[in-house]
Amino acid sequence: MKKKYIMSAALLFSALLLAVLSRHSSFGGMQRYEATFLDVFDTVTSITGYAKSEEIFTEQVELLHAKLQRYHQLFDIYHSYEGVHNIKDINDAAGRRPVEADPEVIELLKLGQDMYRRTEGKVNIAYGSVLAVWHEYREAGIENPQNAQLPPADLLGACAEHTDISKLVIDEGAGTVFLEDEEMRLDVGSIGKGFAAQRLAEYAREIGMEHVLFSLGGNVCAVGAKADGTPWRVGIEKPRPEAQGSYVQAVELAGRSLVTSGDYQRYYEVDGRRYCHIIDPETGMPAEFFPSVTVMAEDSGMADAFSTALFVMGQEEGLALVEELEDVEALWVMEDGGIRCSSGFGIDEEE
Amino acid sequence: MKKNDVILIAGLLLAALAAFGGISWYLAADTQKAEAVVEVDGQEKGRYPLDQDTSVEIQLEDGSYNLLEIKDGRADITEASCPDKICVDHRPVSRRGESLVCLPNKVVVEIENGQEAEVDGMTH
Repeated sequence: MKKKYIMSAALLFSALLLAVLSRHSSFGGMQRYEATFLDVFDTVTSITGYAKSEEIFTEQVELLHAKLQRYHQLFDIYHSYEGVHNIKDINDAAGRRPVEADPEVIELLKLGQDMYRRTEGKVNIAYGSVLAVWHEYREAGIENPQNAQLPPADLLGACAEHTDISKLVIDEGAGTVFLEDEEMRLDVGSIGKGFAAQRLAEYAREIGMEHVLFSLGGNVCAVGAKADGTPWRVGIEKPRPEAQGSYVQAVELAGRSLVTSGDYQRYYEVDGRRYCHIIDPETGMPAEFFPSVTVMAEDSGMADAFSTALFVMGQEEGLALVEELEDVEALWVMEDGGIRCSSGFGIDEEE
Repeated sequence: MKKNDVILIAGLLLAALAAFGGISWYLAADTQKAEAVVEVDGQEKGRYPLDQDTSVEIQLEDGSYNLLEIKDGRADITEASCPDKICVDHRPVSRRGESLVCLPNKVVVEIENGQEAEVDGMTH
């Protein structure tokens, strides 16, 4: 009889021990590591992953970092790089000649055309000339808040004449891109990070990373789940810092992406009023429907594009669009702090 | 069941509970070692335990700065020379993996060790 008791007690003991140990961050010899860098897409990139050793993790992260730096150069509209055929080259040759483009740039631009169709023009990568004006006024306003100004309406109106995406001509056979309108400019800000995140997720798997969570300036992409098989938990940031706590909602994420568009990260103020960086192509002005919208989708590029599209639409209109789409879900944070969700947005708990 | 059996079971249960408590305590004790690690342009510049209130001026060569305050176990950037002030607007951090970032000054303050964060990442 005694043996039985000892056995059960030993079992109980082991179970308790396991329960406690499983809360610890080490699984199957995998340790959790983090890396941060600041030199890609003018934002903060963070990578959280599991590896057998810090050396292995550092090696893998170096590969991811190099890949991201390449995308940074390819999608850059302000700088040229030796030996890189990037978006700036295409813009510089607008109205003059087709230029050679990197195959991945062509892929990105095709995604842009597709997203224009799917969002009925709410996402327009040919909107660069208007965005450039806002960028200039915003930068000046942040640098010198006393003299912050809004761009003149006639200037914005003139630029808006040159945003016809059908003037973007891609010749896949020749590997060239041509902007037929010489005043037109590409700006891939609404899809570039998402596209890069999606490619990075695929690349991470190729190099043997099966449990990674990375964030490209808040574009969060989960490769697999955590090493213990539980999903990653990602917080949706509160748009207004005075509110208590840091996130409105925690979302469980495995093998999917989460992207937020909001009015609180990049903005400037003119006469005490906030003007955010996401411009509604219908009005040429910053969108002001609600503080933030977060999109969950399997493809990070789609999540990025739809978060921008939904940000420049009223909440109800956006909800109707999302409900028609498979594999795209959304959560809106309204000005009064209230939350609206699409039907498939899996919310795991109240805060 | 004999009296000795009862004692034995009770004893083993107590031992298991004690071990559970001990391990939990050991894991929770990590909090005591929580520190804010300051990096400028990828180079580590200092480590400050969160259990000691202090104020650190992170000075850059070009005269830019961020003021890091550690108070009540939390790290916060309360002042900075950068134009956007995103780092100042950020709420204080205290949990493992959380960070404060000033992009213009290339300053990262990251919490190492300490209590596990409630979330693995944030979207914004």
